[in-house]
Formats: sequence, C-alpha cells, structure tokens
Amino acid sequence: MNTHPFLRAFLAGAFVPTLILPLLLLGSILIRLKFPIGPVERGLIFPMALVPSLWALWNMLWLYSHTRTHLAIGSHGAILPLLLMPCGAVLARRLGILAIGANGIVWFQSLHVSYALVAPMFLAALVAYYLGWKYIVGFLNRVLGIA
Amino acid sequence: MNTHDEDRIKHLLKQAMPPTGDTGPERDLWPAMLQRLDVQPGAPPWFDWALAGGLAVFAIVFPASIPVFLYYL
Repeated sequence: MNTHPFLRAFLAGAFVPTLILPLLLLGSILIRLKFPIGPVERGLIFPMALVPSLWALWNMLWLYSHTRTHLAIGSHGAILPLLLMPCGAVLARRLGILAIGANGIVWFQSLHVSYALVAPMFLAALVAYYLGWKYIVGFLNRVLGIA
Repeated sequence: MNTHDEDRIKHLLKQAMPPTGDTGPERDLWPAMLQRLDVQPGAPPWFDWALAGGLAVFAIVFPASIPVFLYYL
C-alpha cells in the first residue's frame, strides 16, 4: 500500500461530500416541490462542483504537510471553513442566492439569518468540520493506509 | 572462465562490497503488526461528545442554519 498515497488521500477526502450529494439533491428537489422558495438549483453549484474537490485537495495537503506540521487531521479540517465560507458566500452572492440585508443575510430568497447568528454559525461549522475530519476522514485515511 | 577465475572474482567482489550489516529486524514483526490491526480505536473523548451535543442543540434551536450548513458541505 505504498503506491499512490496522494491519489488515496484525494479519494478519502472526496468521500464524505460525495456521499452527501445525492441526499442534498433529493432534499433540494423536495424543498422545491413543497415550498415556493428561490433558486435552489443554483445553490447546488458550490456543494456539488467545488466542495468535494476542495475536501480532496485539503486531504492531500494534510498528507503532504503533516510530517512537518504535526497538525492533527481534525484541526487541519477545522481550518477548511475559513477558506470555504468566504468562497461560498462570494459565489452565492454572484449567483443571486445570498442577499445582504439591513438586519441579516437572506439565503435562497427566503431563509433569513440574522447577523447575530453569523458568528455562532461559523463556530458551529468549525466544530462540524473538526468532528467530520477527525472521525470520518481520519478513519478513511487509516483504512486506506495513509494515516 | 575456469573455476579458479570464478572464485577469484567472487573473492574480489566480496572485498569490494563488504556486508552492510543490515540483515533485517532482530525479531519477528508480524505479531506486533497483527496486534496493531486488532486494536480497536478508543472511545471519543468527552470534549468531542460535548462538541457534537452542542452542534445538535444548535441545529435544533436554529433550524434555519441546516440548509446553510448543507450548502457548505
């Protein structure tokens, strides 16, 4: 198992978001059928096209760097939202699925998130990524023999 | 090439390339490998349980955050 470690890191990194994508697609279809909300399809571009690749590349970066940085996989994963969230927000703004209002942010033209919630949501995202990377990606890395 | 020449070449080669001394591990490593494979990962620390619980509470209290989380996953 000493061959192609970066390919295995790519596959392990892309595993989680790829697994969630069909559920996300199904959820968006159901939401679209049930509620008259905004352009959900445009909201799928970021999670379907970019997030899996970014997870995969982030895991490859961990494999490349952890012998020098000694950073745990969970902590490494928790850094990823710092890059993902601004990128996702900019893309969402460009695609018209995120609007910045006076009292908060409006997602999908119907989901209002007050500014007071932005910081707790960001912290919650860090926690979710920390746990996901520590237990799921870490497990996959062990199974594939790269951790 | 006769037998004498072959012996001489062998002798010269052995002189030119002395043994490295690296003759492999002193003990059998396979039992240790099996032991490592059998080890079950320990239970998550209380801190991780607390984080997961806090995350679940946050999602319940603020359900509007769930689609936003899914967008970033």
